[in-house]
Parts: sequence; C-alpha cells; structure tokens
Amino acid sequence: MTRPPRRAGTKAASSGYYVTTGALAILFLFPLLWSGWSSVRTPHGFSLQNYTDMFHYRDGIGTYLINSIAVTSMTVAGTLVVSVLGGYAFGRFRFPGRNALFLATLAILMVPYPTILIPLYVLLGDLGLQNSLVGLSAVLVMFQLPFATFMMRNSFEAVPQELEDCAQVDGCGTFGALRRVLIHAVRPAVVTVGLFAFLAAWNEFFAALILLNSSDKFTLPVAAVAMEGRTFGSIDYPTMQAGVVFMALPCLVLFLFLQRSYVRGFMAGALRG
Amino acid sequence: MSLSTLKEPSAVEDARPRRPLLTIRRRRAAQGLGYAAPTAAVVSVFFLAPLVLVVWMSLNHWPLLGNPTLSFPTNYTDIGDNTLFRGAVWFTLRYTVVMTVVLFSVAFGLALLVQNRRRGVGFLRTAFFLPAAVGFATASLLFLGLLSNEIGPVNPLLTHLGIISRPVSWISGSPNTALGSTVALVTWRFAGFNMLILLTGLQAIPVELYEAARMDGANRVQILRRITVPLMRPTIALVLIMMITGSLLAFDQFYILTGGGPDNSTTSVVMVIVREAFVRFNLGSAAAISVAVLGVLVALNVVQLSILRRRSR
Amino acid sequence: MSTAMPHQPARRSARRAVFAVLAAAVLAAASTAGCSSSSKSPSAAGGATSADDGAQLTMWTRAATESQTEALVKAYNAGHKNQVKLTTYPNEQYPDKIATSAGAHALPDIFTSDVVFAPNYVSQGLWQDVTSRFDQLSFKGDVAPSIIKTATADGKVYAVPHALDLSVLYYNKALYTRAGLDPAKPPTTLAEFATQATAVSKLGGSVKGTYFGGNCGGCVEFTLWPSIWADGGAVMNDAGTQSTIDSPQAVAVFKIYHDLYAAGVAAPASKDENGTTWLGALQTGNIGIAPGPSSWLPLIKAKGIDVGVAPIPGVNGGQSTFVGGDVAGVSVTSSHAAEAWDFLSWTLGDQAQVEVLAKSGEIIARTDLAQNKYAAADPNVVTINQVMGKGQTPYALNFNATYNDPQSPWTTTVRGALFGDTAAALASGQSAITSSLNQH
Repeated sequence: MTRPPRRAGTKAASSGYYVTTGALAILFLFPLLWSGWSSVRTPHGFSLQNYTDMFHYRDGIGTYLINSIAVTSMTVAGTLVVSVLGGYAFGRFRFPGRNALFLATLAILMVPYPTILIPLYVLLGDLGLQNSLVGLSAVLVMFQLPFATFMMRNSFEAVPQELEDCAQVDGCGTFGALRRVLIHAVRPAVVTVGLFAFLAAWNEFFAALILLNSSDKFTLPVAAVAMEGRTFGSIDYPTMQAGVVFMALPCLVLFLFLQRSYVRGFMAGALRG
Repeated sequence: MSLSTLKEPSAVEDARPRRPLLTIRRRRAAQGLGYAAPTAAVVSVFFLAPLVLVVWMSLNHWPLLGNPTLSFPTNYTDIGDNTLFRGAVWFTLRYTVVMTVVLFSVAFGLALLVQNRRRGVGFLRTAFFLPAAVGFATASLLFLGLLSNEIGPVNPLLTHLGIISRPVSWISGSPNTALGSTVALVTWRFAGFNMLILLTGLQAIPVELYEAARMDGANRVQILRRITVPLMRPTIALVLIMMITGSLLAFDQFYILTGGGPDNSTTSVVMVIVREAFVRFNLGSAAAISVAVLGVLVALNVVQLSILRRRSR
Repeated sequence: MSTAMPHQPARRSARRAVFAVLAAAVLAAASTAGCSSSSKSPSAAGGATSADDGAQLTMWTRAATESQTEALVKAYNAGHKNQVKLTTYPNEQYPDKIATSAGAHALPDIFTSDVVFAPNYVSQGLWQDVTSRFDQLSFKGDVAPSIIKTATADGKVYAVPHALDLSVLYYNKALYTRAGLDPAKPPTTLAEFATQATAVSKLGGSVKGTYFGGNCGGCVEFTLWPSIWADGGAVMNDAGTQSTIDSPQAVAVFKIYHDLYAAGVAAPASKDENGTTWLGALQTGNIGIAPGPSSWLPLIKAKGIDVGVAPIPGVNGGQSTFVGGDVAGVSVTSSHAAEAWDFLSWTLGDQAQVEVLAKSGEIIARTDLAQNKYAAADPNVVTINQVMGKGQTPYALNFNATYNDPQSPWTTTVRGALFGDTAAALASGQSAITSSLNQH
C-alpha cells in the first residue's frame, strides 16, 4: 500500500495537525475522564466502593452480565446474517419488490420508538416470547436492520463486477462467491455493522425495560439505571459514573481490536490479490 | 440449468441469446429473493405486523385496559388542536437543520483527519469514537451532571480559564443555551459514530485517484469536491438519512437533559407522542400522531433517496 | 361418555368426600399454623391467613422506594409460604412500563405507584377493589388517611400506603454555627427561613443559603405547597378540578423563594435543577437550609453532615408537609388476589411497620404506631412523625399531566413564579392548570 507523497512544509503542518487533533481528542474524552475520576472518589478519598456496590446490586452483576452477553451475541449474529444476505440481495440482484422491501426496511427508522413498543410487547406475548432474551434480541435485530442493510447494500454495490465474475468463473454459485470472495471485499462494512449492532444491543435500555418483566432477565443498562435511582428520585452520580466506565470498557477493547479493519486500501488489496 | 424446464412453450423454439438472458435474469431474481428472504421475514413479523396494529390503534379510542371503540378521524383531527404539538413541530424542524449541519460537518471533518495511517491515528479514532460506547440515555444524564452548576466541572473550569465570569445556566437559562447544550451532547455522542461510517466510504476510494489528481495539480478543495464527495455519495446518503430521521425523532436528549424546556421551547415531536401515550394514557391519539409522522418521514426519505441516488448513477 | 359401573359412583363419591375432609383439615392446620407464626400481637395480619398457600406472586416497584419494598418482601418471604418476587424498575420509565403492560393486559400481581398517580390509575381500573378486605383490618382508621383518600373512588378503596416520603426542611448545623445562628433553633416561619438562609450565604465561597428544584414541577409542589397549606391556603379544590394557585398565600410563598434566588442566596444551580442532582447538592454540605424528602435523611447523614430536620412552616407560622410516597395495590389482572392481599395487609401490620420499616429509620403509615421505640430514638424521626398529622396529600385525576410531567402547565407556572413576575405567572398559571385538570 502506497502513501501519498509527502510535501514540503510537512513539519509545521504535522504539528498543526497534532495540536488540533490532540485538542479535539481531549474534548471528546473529557466527559469520560470526568466519569472515571468521579467514580473512584468518595468522601473518604479514593476507593472502588461504587464499583463493588454495583457488583452486588440485587441479582448480582453475574446475572446481568450474562443476560447482556446473551442478548448482545444473539443481536450481533442475527444482524450480521440477515443484513449480509440482505445487502447482497439489494446490492447485486434485481428482483421484484426490491425497492419496496428496502423502503420497508428503512421505514423502521421512521417510526417513533415508544409507539411501536406497545404493539411489539403484545406481539411477543402472542409468540410466546414475552420476558425472553430471544424475543428482545429479535426486536433489536429489527431495529438494526435499516442501518445494517443500507450499509451492506452500499458496500456490495461498490464491489466491481470483475470480482464477482472472477469468483463465479470457478463454477461456484452465488453463495460460494459470497462466502469465498465477496465477503472479504465488504469486510470494513461487516465490521462496522457488527460493531454498531454490538453497541446498540449492549447499551439498549428502553426496549429491554419494556420487554422484560422480571429482574433476573434484566440486562446491565436496565439494572444500572434502576440502581442509579434508588436514592429516592435523585440520581446517584458516582454509581452512574461507575456504570458508565464499566460498560464502556468492553466497547473500548472491542474497538481497539477492530481498528485493523479500518485501513485504507483494503479494497485495492482485494483486487490485486 | 434448473430453470430451462420451466420456460413458457412459446419461447421454447428460440435458441438465440434472448433465452439464456431470460434464464439468468430469472435465476438471479429467484436467488435475490432468497437472499432477501430473512430480511423480509424479520421486517414483516417484527415491524409490519406491529405497524398494522399501530395504524389500527390510531383509528380507535383505545383505553389502557378496556375495549377499544372505533373513533375515526377524531385522533387525527385532534392533532390540529394540539398547541404543544404545533410548537414541537416547528422546534423539531429547526433543531433538525441545526443538528444535521453541525453533526455532519464535525463527523466529516473528523473522518478526513483520521483517514490516513499516521502515528497516533489509532488513538485519535478511539478517542473520537469512545463516546458511542455510552448508552444514549446515560450519555444525556452524564451531560446533565457535567453541565450542572452544583456537581459539574464545566462551569468551574470555564470560570477558572476566564472564559465566563459567572456560572452559566446551560440547561434552562434560555432556549438558545438549552438548544446549544443538546447540540453539544448529540455531537459528542454521535460524531465518532458517523465518522466511522464515513471512514469506510472514504477508504474505499482508491489512492491512485488522489495521486493522479495531485499530479494534475489539483488542490485539496478540488480533490474534495471532484473526487471524494462524488464517490462517497452512497455513504453520505446513508449518514444524512440517519441524521435527519434521527433528529426528527429525537427524544432522549430533550427528555433527560432539558425536559423540553425552558417553557417547552425544546419540546420535540416524540416528546408529545410519549406524553399522549404514557402521561395522558391516550394511546389512540399517540398512535395517530406517530402514523402522521411516519407518513411525513417516508415521503421525505423517498425524496431524499431519489435525489441522492439519481446523481450517483 | 361415562361408562362407570353402577357401584363405582358411590365409591368415587366416598373417595371425594375423604379428600374433601382431608383438604379441609390441611387448610385448617395451615391456617392455624400461619396464625401462630406470623402474629406477634392480636392486631396483626388481620384475618386472611388462609390465603398463605404457597403462591408465587410477582410484584413491581420503582427504584426510588426499592430499599423499603425490598426489606418488606424479604421479611414476608422468610415467614410465609407465599413468595413474592420483586422487580425494580428505573423511576422515570416506570409509568411507561405500567402503561405498556396494562395495554397488553399483562400486569403483575402487585404493583406500586407514586401516590399522586393513584387517582389516575384508579380511574383507569388498574387495581382491584379491596374495600371489603381493607375494612376487615382492625387498624384501618390509623392507616395514613390522606393517602387512602387518593386511592379511593366512589367510596371504594383500591390501594394502600406502601412507602412514605414527606417533605421537610434540612439544615446544616455546622454551617449554622459558623454563620452565628443557633443550630437548635430552626425557623418557625418562612420569613425566618429566608433570614437564616441569607445569614448562611454571607459565609461566601461555595456556601449557599438554600437550594430548590427550579426546573422540576414535582420538586416544587413537594416543597412549596406545605407552606401554602400551613398558612391556611389551598392549591386546588378538594375534587382536584379547580386550581387556586393564585391565592395570596401562594403568591407570598413563591415571592420569598423568588427573592432568595434573585439575591443570590439560593444556589444558581437551582434554576436548572430538575431533581436528578438535588440530593447531590444537599450532600455537598454547602447548603445552609433547604427543603427535601424525608427519605434522604440517612443519605445526607451518610456523607458526614450534621443535619437537623424541621417542619416546613408557612410564611407567618404553622407547619405542614406533603405526605407523599408510594401506594401498592392488587392488579385487576391478577389471579392471586387473596394471596396478594395477604402480603399487602401484612405490610400494614404491626410487625412489618415497626420491626421492618421503623427499625431501618423509615417513616411508617400507621399513625397509631408513630411512637414506637425506634422512632423515639431519633429526634429527627420524631419531628417528621409529628408533622405527618398536619400534612396533606393532594388529589387530582390528571395530576401527572398537569403537575409532574415536564410539559405540564405547572412547570411553566413555576419557572415564571420563581424567576420572573411571580404574581403574573401564578395568575396565568391558574387558568392553564385548571383547564389541564379538566382535560379529557
């Protein structure tokens, strides 16, 4: 992978770049740093009391963590499967009802969240999925579909025809082409879709609250917000901030791990390779 | 091969290219349908079905527990009488314009800054993206604390730096500060998010194009206008649609941060819907407003999509 | 379809009779066993102990009152066959959860609600009528009458008090001493309150005289209405259909707070305070004297603040309080009404009220038990209990839409009265609030 040639005066430009971006980085990190700092402060100095209180809240952090992990994995898996197949269809095939279905998928974005939750609640009850993590995950997959499908469609559309033809020359059908070649060409999009599905499911609060009925099924966000409000109406800020830090850590780790997929020229490499 | 046996009798004799093309097209159509089937299933069961119920609710007087009674078009005509709703519509439109301009510029700017591999760019991307790791309701609470005169660091810091002389009431001081606080919250939370989406679009542009343009003597602005933006149209379409729709349906940031105040100056459309449903227990009316909003949004997005798609073809 | 032989019916009915007798015997044994284990005094659970038959009950409550509910549930489960499974929901979204579940006909067996929402829930028919059950309780007249009234419609009772929260004045004794005020003499009139707050604010620095929730309708009604009541005024008519917020008493009370803010005695943060950082502010130890919920007493003490409690006075004297908190009722969709009532009536009994609630410093609903040994040990609790009898619980059908919801006319009125032209805001508020109270 080649980089654009450096030009004269890059030293000044370079330090200007780092000053600007450094200042921006501080601005963006500030609220989280404040949270981190406040969460370890108590009247008697620094301590992890807020975290230990959080871990022992009601059913215990283990229960909530397991529920959150279950919902998040199911949502990510479901979103990826449905949107990759769907994006492939919308991006590279013509079939009757294509535009209508795409618009219907996008329309999910356009319905006010609280309104659709009451009928969903009734529907899940009818399907026997009330108070279930599977039901919640299905709903979260649905909420992710507009973005995920749009993203995958864009990505599949941008794949050059030659690549697809190459793949099909070997005799593998469309599914083989997808599995062996195209999926790698759209990898940044897949990573983004998966990451966003993870974040959405991990932090999902209102849908989980409405669709789950017993605290042993609660996910971390619902338990966290309930815990913050246990001081008779006011928000217990140190607890909230401990929750913020705790829940942000896996997202941070995941994002760092996925950094490699955001590298320029990935597409080019696929063509040449 | 499998479709050749299903051809209509009239086309059987014609062995010229037209037949294979028809076969391929129909096979691909069937395969496309197959790949789209899971999407269709999820959308019909979990979205269209409840949506039908929402539309049905909007045609009824729907009490919490009793039986609904048909009442058309009362719920819809009542929307016109709802002064809170009228104010909310105007505010939501103004907010959407401001928010989209600010958020898009910031996200695009950040994406341009971090698109190339440089030292520390991984750290920068993480710093910009990390706010997305906080759930939106919690992020709103976080900002509430941050901007609080009593427990937050912003006012003391700004006073210390000499930027302000007395503590500013960021959240309810005036409609402008309330709006500004909300814009700051949403930008902080979503800029990195959108930056990432734009990044995938940016990085799909082959480097060779930039090199060629530079060798022709094009400067940065020209490259941006002639190469980057046109090639990023689909990504920009996605981002704009999500931003505009998201702003028109904004709720958490107003409910939690400003409470729709001061004096209902930052009350959004969805806040009115939530108030109808969960405070006044008028589910039929809430459903009607939602259907109306959905109609407007679908029309808006169809227009947006066709404009943005047409130019990229 | 029965092809039973002629002699079988006789045998079958004999068997059935034996089972019936055995069942009755078991039930009788269970009920007497229940009676002896759960009663510490004759006026305990109140009779329906045969309803303790090992049912699994689901109960929902909001996080704000969680500690009290949890203590009660735990104690009940330990001594009964019925087991209550409690789920706690975040405060702001709890009404949404109730509304959604009601809409889906899927409410739990028991659920609580903020007492001011009770009239609305009763009118929506969410709770079962428990009048006859409640009448069987020997202590029914001593159960927080103002709260029972909000849960009553057409003479029928639908919910009972569950957790109590009253509004009081908290003052920082250390700051009082530093300001030259006598920490044993809290204000007896609102005018005195203003003077003392001003004295504390003169200490300067980060110390402020007072604090209030200027962006929160619920906070203001909770803390300012008692002063109006203490002066003999009213904020609404009894039926909750007419607002009288423009009365001279109300104007006088709002004027005091308005002037305190304008003079800088009240913390500037009061203007933005929507309730979420209210406790945090009081816990900084920088506020001289401010109104707040009685349930915060242990939380403020936990930060090491030497805090005193005083009843909220009127402008010219008198005392009153907002008798708030939660009520609990049996859902109309529940199929375990008897067992659910067994739990609720137990929570109102002596053992629960004294040994569970009062012991942990909570204010109890039973006015006849107010002088229990735990309460007597803490003078602050004694103060709160004494003022409860002088307090009120306001009643209105559209309470949430009119007063607590951020888009309510009350929010606008309050902000105008506290930060703008007091008399004008209250006058225009009176008509806006009245029409909202009658809206349907």
